[in-house]
Amino acid sequence: MGVNLVIFIFFYSCERARIHFSCLKMGSFLLRKSCLRSSVLIQNPRTSFLLFSHLPEFHSNLDSTVVARGAYNWFLNVSGFSSKPQVMKTPVGFNIRCFSSQAIMEHKTCDGLTIENIVSYQWPILDESEGDWKSHAAAISQSIQLIKKRLQWKQLVVRLQMLSLELSKPDLWDDPVHAGKISREHGSLMGKMKEVNGFERELLEHIDMLKLAREENDAELESETMKALLSMRRSAKEKELKALLAGEQDSCSCFIEVQGGAGGTESMDWASMIMNMYKMWAQGRGYGVTVVDEVRGEIAGIKRATIKVEGENAFGYAKAEVGVHRLVRISPFDSGKRRHTSFAAVAVTPILSDASSRCQINESDLSIERFRSGGPGGQHANTTDSAVRIVHIPTGLTATCQNQRSQHQNKALAMSVLQSRLDQLEIARQAQINAQHTHSLTEISWGNQIRTYVLHPYRMVKDLRTNYEVPDPNSVLDGDLDGFILSYLSALMDKDEILYEFGFYDRKR
Amino acid sequence: MAFPYNSFSRTIRSIMSPRNLSQPSSIHLNQPQTPLFLKSPIHQTPLSSLTQFQTWAKTLIQSKGSNFPTIDNGPDTNHLFRELKWFLEDAGFNRDDDEDIVRLRVGLDELYLLWKQRIVERRPFQYVVGCEHWRDLVLSVEEGVLIPRPETEVIVDIVEELIKKEEEEEDENEVMMKEGLWVDLGTGSGALAIAIARALGKGGRVIATDLSPVAASVAGYNVGRYGLQDKIEIRIGSWFKPLEDVKREVVGLVSNPPYIPSDQILGLQAEVGKHEPRLALDGGENGMVDLLHLCEGAASVMKSGGFFAFETNGEMQSKFLLDFTMNKSKGCFRDVKIVSDHSGIQRFVTGFFV
Repeated sequence: MGVNLVIFIFFYSCERARIHFSCLKMGSFLLRKSCLRSSVLIQNPRTSFLLFSHLPEFHSNLDSTVVARGAYNWFLNVSGFSSKPQVMKTPVGFNIRCFSSQAIMEHKTCDGLTIENIVSYQWPILDESEGDWKSHAAAISQSIQLIKKRLQWKQLVVRLQMLSLELSKPDLWDDPVHAGKISREHGSLMGKMKEVNGFERELLEHIDMLKLAREENDAELESETMKALLSMRRSAKEKELKALLAGEQDSCSCFIEVQGGAGGTESMDWASMIMNMYKMWAQGRGYGVTVVDEVRGEIAGIKRATIKVEGENAFGYAKAEVGVHRLVRISPFDSGKRRHTSFAAVAVTPILSDASSRCQINESDLSIERFRSGGPGGQHANTTDSAVRIVHIPTGLTATCQNQRSQHQNKALAMSVLQSRLDQLEIARQAQINAQHTHSLTEISWGNQIRTYVLHPYRMVKDLRTNYEVPDPNSVLDGDLDGFILSYLSALMDKDEILYEFGFYDRKR
Repeated sequence: MAFPYNSFSRTIRSIMSPRNLSQPSSIHLNQPQTPLFLKSPIHQTPLSSLTQFQTWAKTLIQSKGSNFPTIDNGPDTNHLFRELKWFLEDAGFNRDDDEDIVRLRVGLDELYLLWKQRIVERRPFQYVVGCEHWRDLVLSVEEGVLIPRPETEVIVDIVEELIKKEEEEEDENEVMMKEGLWVDLGTGSGALAIAIARALGKGGRVIATDLSPVAASVAGYNVGRYGLQDKIEIRIGSWFKPLEDVKREVVGLVSNPPYIPSDQILGLQAEVGKHEPRLALDGGENGMVDLLHLCEGAASVMKSGGFFAFETNGEMQSKFLLDFTMNKSKGCFRDVKIVSDHSGIQRFVTGFFV
């Protein structure tokens, strides 16, 4: 708030000093900047001084110079300038009030440059090392447009307006669960919008700054600004990626299930290779991996397995892996050394962290079974097998867990798997209600092949959805999956078909 | 975790209090063993030797273990592979380590020896690693103590349900169950006593009895590990004998007594028949000797309205007890019913004292 106060004082002083109208115009320019919170202008005292002194009036009119200096000093004191960037925290109410202006206000440079027309000029984008500001600006602007597209900007603005309206209703908190949901969504959308708006503003301000520095022949400021532009250009790529994972469940942890197709040992071996690939991928990303359920094949491999992958955006990434994976190789299990094709199906379910949105499970709807080899049980049997299978009778969904060391733990984990599946079903149902059309893909159908791994006669992994391919299957099977995942996610987003691709993938916008 | 010496000795003192003197001298001979996973990782082993061990252990499973299910309903190779994984985890081997040297809790020689015992002698896995994961507890077990069975977990569910219901209803007894005295007869490793003590309120207490001094000392160790020495008292003696001083005070009585008919002991799965204590398994002729003794003797210690839950061999015994309590000892019991375990076997008999 310090900055606004200074601007106010500046205005006030201006009026008292009866400064020329253009000075006021400059002031309004500053005011706009400060309201929108620029990181550079306001945090850099040198810059603000430059802006002040830029106007000829400041040099010709002694009074105004004094005022300007005074304001500048105030500026320094009140906002407590230091080399560290400061984050101004605003209360929620403030956000709501200034929301509409934020969303609608078009950001421009002093000479009217906007993101849109930077993109439309089609400035050639040279290599980062060229140090060409137009390249930087064009690259960043393109990223911003892409991010907006990925965030479905227009729908986001509408949704945000709806939510703000909802939030301002006096009876909102009569239903605290609903209110909590609304305010959480509002907060999260607001955060996204502010981040993009801030980024956009930062770019335009840097452009202003650069022009200013050139006019003033300030080499130091120019190089500083160029550096800032370059770092923006680099972080823009990260932001593009982040915008890929803007779905409601994307930030969740998840379960990954792999099931071998028909074809005996060879396909069970393939299923275990795929499972290993995900374990290594998840560990490589720093996620926690727990084996929930694993049924081994008689000779090798696994019939099916489920792992729990815990960490930020685990579901957002892993959802790109849903479908059937095909392997072509000379089977080590075939004494005739023939070429085999096997399949493994992968399913991914989010573990919803928000308890209020989870599906309520009725104890009486559950049938809990313990696997055992028969016999009288109890004291007769010593077994370390305490597998638990839970059936949700109304839906027929089941969950099995046998890898924990007590029945209690197996049951708890199986319950969490079941919960996650029921949630997924519920999300899919909601999506169906929200959308007129849906490719209901809650079950993996064997026809839904997404990727082929060829180890023989040539070596290649190719994603059938994006045509992304890699010549080295080993690295992929060792968990180097990010290329596939990101190319798929971007393709999905950029085609703008993301909404109901998974049936359960509801962005509610 | 260090050996909780103080808490343990305190529990032992309570065992040795004058009123349960049956066999106090033998307690000193039975220092409970530390479970494998609590030993110090002081044995440095090259990763390559450990990999070698793993290969050997797997081969042993495949060559010796494949027919266990057909011989006596024993574990299949999948279970044994899983046990091997847990064994190595307990021994301190963490797969994620990239180090060339692994720090283990036992020496390599002992690792081989233990695994040989598991497969060749069919020593129960729980004795090999010295613990059993039961509900959310990890209980120390050793030879001479029955390994708690997963079926028995259900008794705790039943008790928890009872306490929850009582809280919701708040009838004239108020929180009698939650704040009263519970008894676990033939406690073994202390599993039921510990799980129930954790479900009780501040005032709730549990007396856990066992005839076996080994069991009593292991139960004491487990009680100490969960910091429940103020809530659980361990007494040595046969069934109701150590309960002379609490007549008509007990609000809840649970027991998993020996219930296997004597003539079936020989045919038991090797892990059970050859290694677990017969004292904890053999229920005499028909396996009903101890169960009937419990039903007959319970009335003397139970408070009016008190609850009981016994584990049985299955349908036949459960039905017999149901009949016995509802007809032969008419007027002593009410709301007696049979509860099945998760495999659908009619495993438990529960009810209330009038």
